[in-house]
Formats: sequence, structure tokens, C-alpha cells
Amino acid sequence: MASSARSSGVAAALLRRRPNVCASCRTTQFLRPYSVAAEAQATAEAHHLKPTQSKPHEPFTVSRQAEYRIRSGVILSRAPLLTRPLTPFENAFFFYQKRLNERLTTEFRHSMFFKKDTAADLDWRIKLEERGGLVAKELGRYYAKGRNAWNDELLVGSTLSDENRIRETLLKDAELRVTEDGEKAKPDEIVPVEKPQPRITESDKKNDVQKLDRKLDQTLYLVVKKPDGEWQFPADDMSTEENLHQAAQRILDAAAGPNMNTWIVGRVPVAHHVVQPQFKQDTSLDVKGEKTFFLKGRIMAGQADLKEGTLGYRKFKWLTKDELQELLPAPYFKSVRKMMADR
Amino acid sequence: MASRLPTALPRRPTTSSTLSPFNTLAPQTTSSSIIPTLQQTQTRNATLIRRPKRPYAFTQVVQLSDGSTFTLRTCSPHALYKSTKDTRNHVMWNPSEKSLKNVEVDEAGKLAAFRGRYGRGWDAESVDPEGGAAEAAETKGSSKGGDAAKKDDKVGAASFESKFDSSYDPLGDLISSYAVGMPEDKGAKMAGSTKSKKK
Repeated sequence: MASSARSSGVAAALLRRRPNVCASCRTTQFLRPYSVAAEAQATAEAHHLKPTQSKPHEPFTVSRQAEYRIRSGVILSRAPLLTRPLTPFENAFFFYQKRLNERLTTEFRHSMFFKKDTAADLDWRIKLEERGGLVAKELGRYYAKGRNAWNDELLVGSTLSDENRIRETLLKDAELRVTEDGEKAKPDEIVPVEKPQPRITESDKKNDVQKLDRKLDQTLYLVVKKPDGEWQFPADDMSTEENLHQAAQRILDAAAGPNMNTWIVGRVPVAHHVVQPQFKQDTSLDVKGEKTFFLKGRIMAGQADLKEGTLGYRKFKWLTKDELQELLPAPYFKSVRKMMADR
Repeated sequence: MASRLPTALPRRPTTSSTLSPFNTLAPQTTSSSIIPTLQQTQTRNATLIRRPKRPYAFTQVVQLSDGSTFTLRTCSPHALYKSTKDTRNHVMWNPSEKSLKNVEVDEAGKLAAFRGRYGRGWDAESVDPEGGAAEAAETKGSSKGGDAAKKDDKVGAASFESKFDSSYDPLGDLISSYAVGMPEDKGAKMAGSTKSKKK
């Protein structure tokens, strides 16, 4: 109690010594700077001050408008096409729930679904016999009404709850086991069911970052390479005659060609990135700053084509959020990361 | 189920009889009626709630028309369900897909022949490019009569047809097409006269 009171008193005394420090500086720069000059420089950096200014004053709105260029940009994304793969824990959980359900539901009455002495009835009987009289197809050798019904949990390392195994089992069960004559099919007469396409595509294997059929369970974002070698989202200066969303559509068409069916989701920017202006020693403007506002877009069909683009971009990539983090400059990624979904 | 609930017994016989304003009007009669029931022992048996009947559920693989699959729990005992029509191949969800558009296939010309005979009154929607063609065919049929005096009638007929296109009268269309198809001049002239009157 006494020590904490003493320490808070020390902090208060420290703050009392520097009454002209604003609230944000008080919290961020609590460590004492090495010199007055360093402190002044840190303050100037935090408030983006001009070279001759020493302390921040009123917020600049109109007076500093001329120091920035307003730009519009598009973050064009491809929505995920597949749901994510389940974790082993989720698989095991759902498998356990299914076994539990076996114990609680009413029994399956096959006479309700299959008319007696039909091909479908025979087919069902053949498969039921192969499963050892078990109605459930993918739950392993588990008799829910039997003596060992309590033993419904899987052991560690069991592959019974694996998603792929369950799908394989179900597709195997979907094969027709009865011939057209209504007799039991011989093994060479059974036609296997066509398997669904795998989650991993050719582009995934080649890691072809320009293809849109890569990383099907994640969102892909379009980034383009400027002539100076830096990667960014397509963006350009705006004229005063157009709105943000109109400019975004124009920029997208100009950057990546008209060979895309796109949809600009809203008229409100989802992210913005600010590059501070640079000043000479006499406070005159050296390089203008940039304020880029990004709108969100979706690609429905087509592909980016930079050959017809007029903004001078050379290359493009469709990347996930993780890949963008590696590629983009850190401050740039920091200003846009919040609009990206995790997946 | 409802008969087992102890509804005959009041929940709180003492408080309800004394506190409720309705019972104060005739206190003697109500108290005399309640007292014998109070002498019975109050029972609080738990009412039997049966477990709801749940049908047996299988796991099923559903394959949509574009080949994508997912699994779900269902009563159906089939392990695989292949859908033929769903959001992946329906026009409403794929407005830019041209192969899904409703295009009339008439290679044998049967539909055109039907229209030539009975008109376009049975069409679901009036189609602009073919409407002009049908009109031209009908004017050709009317010129079979070979009358020079019919020229103004033709113009009248054309304007009449265009009127029908806008207002859509199937029965009138049928009648006029029959009249046009007839070989006699008389009927055509009569039709022409009525049209000119309308004009």
C-alpha cells in the first residue's frame, strides 16, 4: 500500500515538472529522454511537425490540406470458395456427438424407406450385412444398444473420426450393389462413384500466385507492382470531379483491364493509408504527402490483365493475408490489415 | 397429459380465498366449498414429460451441380445425394451465365409453324425480333388474294397488329389470324372495313 502510493507520487511529480506535455506524450514517452533535443525531436515526429515548429498547436484541417494528395484505391478480393478444413479436435467432437446420438434416437425402420423385395431394399440389405448389422455407416463397430454401449469414446490416435475417411466411407456406401436384373452385383460389376475434386488444386501445387483457383478456403487479394518495384493495391490520384467509389471503379478498370466482373461493395472506404509530407528547412513543401482511401471490391469472374492497363503496373499477384504481410511494407500493411478477414 | 395436472386443486387455497376481491363478495359460500378440498393432501408429483421422438439420422454427402460437396445429417438413408438444379446452375444466382438463359430451341420449325397458324397469343412473353417476322408472314398470307385495293387494308392491318402487340389480346389475335388465313376475299374485305372504321 505504502510503496504503491509512493510510486504514484513519483509519477505525478514527474508530470508536474513538464506541464506543457500533451496527454498522448505523457503516456507514450514516459521514459525520460536523454536530452532536450531528443525529446523535441520525438515530439515533432509524433505530431508530424514542420522543421521550425517546436510544439503542436491546434488541429490542422484547412491549413494543411494543400500538403496532401487524396488518392483512391481498391482492395479487390476473391471470396473463399470452400469452407475451412476441420481441426482434429472438431472432427473427434462431432464423431463423439454422432455416437451419442446413436444411443438416444429411435431405431431406423428400413421398411419406411424401402419397399419390400425391391432393388433398393436388396441394396440396403447387402450393405447392412457388410456393416455387421450396423445402421450407421461411418461410426465404426459401435453397437449403441449393446452391452458395450458405454464405450463410445475414441482412443488417442484413432483415425476413425478423420474427415477424409468418413467421406471415403460414405462414397463407398453410395455404390450401387444391385445389377439391373435385380440381383447382387459381382465385385467387377460394381461401378465406383466419381470422387469429388480435392481441396488442393494444380495452382496450389505449383504455387501459381497469378491464378484465382489457389487457396480455395482463403480470401485472395489483388496486389500490383509499381514501376519502382514496390507492391501495393491498385490506387491512383483523384480528380475533384469524382467521388471515391467512382474513382475506385475507374482505377480498377484502368489498372487491371476490363476483363473482370467486379463489384465495388460500398461507397465508404474500408481502410486508409497516410504518407506524411516532407519539408525543407525553410518549412516549404518538399514532397507532398498522400492520403489513400481504399474501397472494398469483389471479383466474380474474369482475371486481371495488366497489358491493357494504363496505370503502368507490370505484375500482379493474388495473395492471402499472410502472404501480403510478408510482401507489403510494414506501415502499409498495418494500415490495411484491419479490413482483411482472418481467412 | 393435461388430465394429470392437479388443476382441480387451487395452488394457494388460503391466500387466494382471503385476498382476492371477488371472494370477499360471498365469503361464506366460497370458504365452505374450499374447506373440504383442503382436507385432502396436496400432491406435487412431477408430471411425466416424454422424450421427444427423434427420427434416426444418417450422415449424407450432398453433391451440388458444380461438383462441390458437403456432408449433413439427414433422415435419408442414401449416402450420396446429387442435386440436379441448385444455386450453382440457376439463372437467378448466375445472371452472367449465358448457357443458362432460356433460349427457344426450334430446329424443326414446329413452333414457327404453330405461330404461323394460330398467332402468338399463346406465347409467354412477346419477343421483339421475332414479332416483326411473324407480322411479315401474316401480311404475306393476306397478299395471296392478289387484290390491288387491299394495299391500304394492309397498312391498316399492320397498325392493328402493332396495337395488339402493345395491348396483348390473345383471343383477338387468334380471330384475326384465322381471318387472314382464309382464301376468300370477302372476309378479308370485311375485316379491312372494320379496321378502317376503327381507324
